[in-house]
Amino acid sequence: MDPLIYELTGVRYAYAGRFPALCGVDMALRRGEKAVLVGANGTGKSTLLAMLDGLIFPDAGALRFDGRDLTEPAFDDPGFSKDFRRRVGFVFQDPDAQLFCPTVREDIAFGPLQLGMDPAAVETRLEDVTRALGIADLLERQPHQLSIGEKKKVALAGVLVLDPEVVLLDEPTAGIDPLTTRHIIDMLCAAAAGGKTIVTATHDLHIVEEMADTVVVLGRERTIRRAGRPSEILGDEQLLWENNLVHIHRHRHAGRVHEHIHLHSHDHHA
Amino acid sequence: MFAQRGRFIERSLRAVLSFINDAVLAETHAGRPGFLQARDPRVKIAASLILLAVAVTTKSFAALAGLYLIIALLVLCSRIGLGFFFARTWVFVPIFALAMVLPALFSFFSPGDVVGHVRIFALTLSVTRQGILGAALFVSRVAVCVSVAVLLALTTRHSALLRALRFLGVPQIYVMTMGMTYRYIHLFVEIVGDTFTAIRSRVGHAVAVPSGRRIVAWNIASLWHRSFDMHLQVHRAMIARGYRGEAVAARLFKTTRKDWMWLFAVAAVGYLLWTL
Repeated sequence: MDPLIYELTGVRYAYAGRFPALCGVDMALRRGEKAVLVGANGTGKSTLLAMLDGLIFPDAGALRFDGRDLTEPAFDDPGFSKDFRRRVGFVFQDPDAQLFCPTVREDIAFGPLQLGMDPAAVETRLEDVTRALGIADLLERQPHQLSIGEKKKVALAGVLVLDPEVVLLDEPTAGIDPLTTRHIIDMLCAAAAGGKTIVTATHDLHIVEEMADTVVVLGRERTIRRAGRPSEILGDEQLLWENNLVHIHRHRHAGRVHEHIHLHSHDHHA
Repeated sequence: MFAQRGRFIERSLRAVLSFINDAVLAETHAGRPGFLQARDPRVKIAASLILLAVAVTTKSFAALAGLYLIIALLVLCSRIGLGFFFARTWVFVPIFALAMVLPALFSFFSPGDVVGHVRIFALTLSVTRQGILGAALFVSRVAVCVSVAVLLALTTRHSALLRALRFLGVPQIYVMTMGMTYRYIHLFVEIVGDTFTAIRSRVGHAVAVPSGRRIVAWNIASLWHRSFDMHLQVHRAMIARGYRGEAVAARLFKTTRKDWMWLFAVAAVGYLLWTL
């Protein structure tokens, strides 16, 4: 079995010390694993991702990355900070927060340049990544001129250009059209096949089966309700109901309105 | 949205949004293929500084006319409509020049040959030939300087213009901050525009002035909160990609032989005009 890349033990976190966001999270992620965090709004998914990226730190409990404690003082060490940022990439939920440079080209190159990569190598990586994502024609555009789907792709490119070992994604498919979603998922699956650890927070159960070896359900108590294989989690109707994760489809059949639950844990037979 | 007197707020909001959108639209000229658009932004800034230096130091109307002619030719070579360009520049010239130049027309500031009189109530002011010439020289200088600045802004993408400021020795942190400010102005303009539409869709057109002011105040507060929240997220996004307080920027400019030839030509013509 691959060694652990993240270990969380009894992790607690509250915003401003008053508003609990995580209330005792225990979790372990293996190197090369694809994990999906699901849960209703406000269950702590984004907080957990920010913590895995070393942007916030536990009030209590322990968080370890590759065998080393991930604490605020650890990032005072420039060597560790640089190494960690190079190994872990985070795609934010709101691409407008992530695309802060005047042009797409500068934005994608921002991370590698801060981490001291050779500018010529950055240019080569940038060309490869933007070609793979189909956004090479957007390089001279300004972020405000992009559609939401294009912004999401540029944000992803800004992380993939670093070629990180771990990719953290917060709602990567929120608000984008089905074909763009397909393209992004294909890119992420290819990255996972290349050995990257992919952690995705999402409400979109359509993508869970493809994006997960392990599904982690966060509950309203802001703890992990259950973790397991996609088929186990997506097939547990009661668990999905209890955690606001049920898709209810209502449509018309022969003149009558028909309503049913849409489950995502089915096999397709030829 | 607001009652008749309160339409001032609506008009102001519209004017601000429209002005910023116009500034964005100006990039359509920067994106066109044209002579100045093809020049390296650093070279363009250097050439503009030369033209500005000639304009502010010369006392010759012929030199100023020559500069203006060169600017007009550059406008045409850069595929910008002359009408559009003149409208753009001559909006600013009176703002910058006329208010300052008016007193210089009169004998108590510019003594000399009196060519006429102006009566303002009981006061009779004498207009002098020297005053008229001084004022004309000042307005001509302002017209050339504003034209150079507008031409530079119209033919250069704002992002490239900001990056080129590094060439003038502006520290990277300021260039980066200005770039981010420019980037997020667009986002907040969108938010203000959407909020404005949402209010109109819910309250219609007739709102009493006090209510209108209250709505605007709420929106200012809401925008402040959103900008604060965005600033936290942006800072995290920067840290997540390795930022540690010293930003490293890409070197994206490449000068060509044509750029250097252009700069040399501007310097030579500028010198010739200056000697007139």
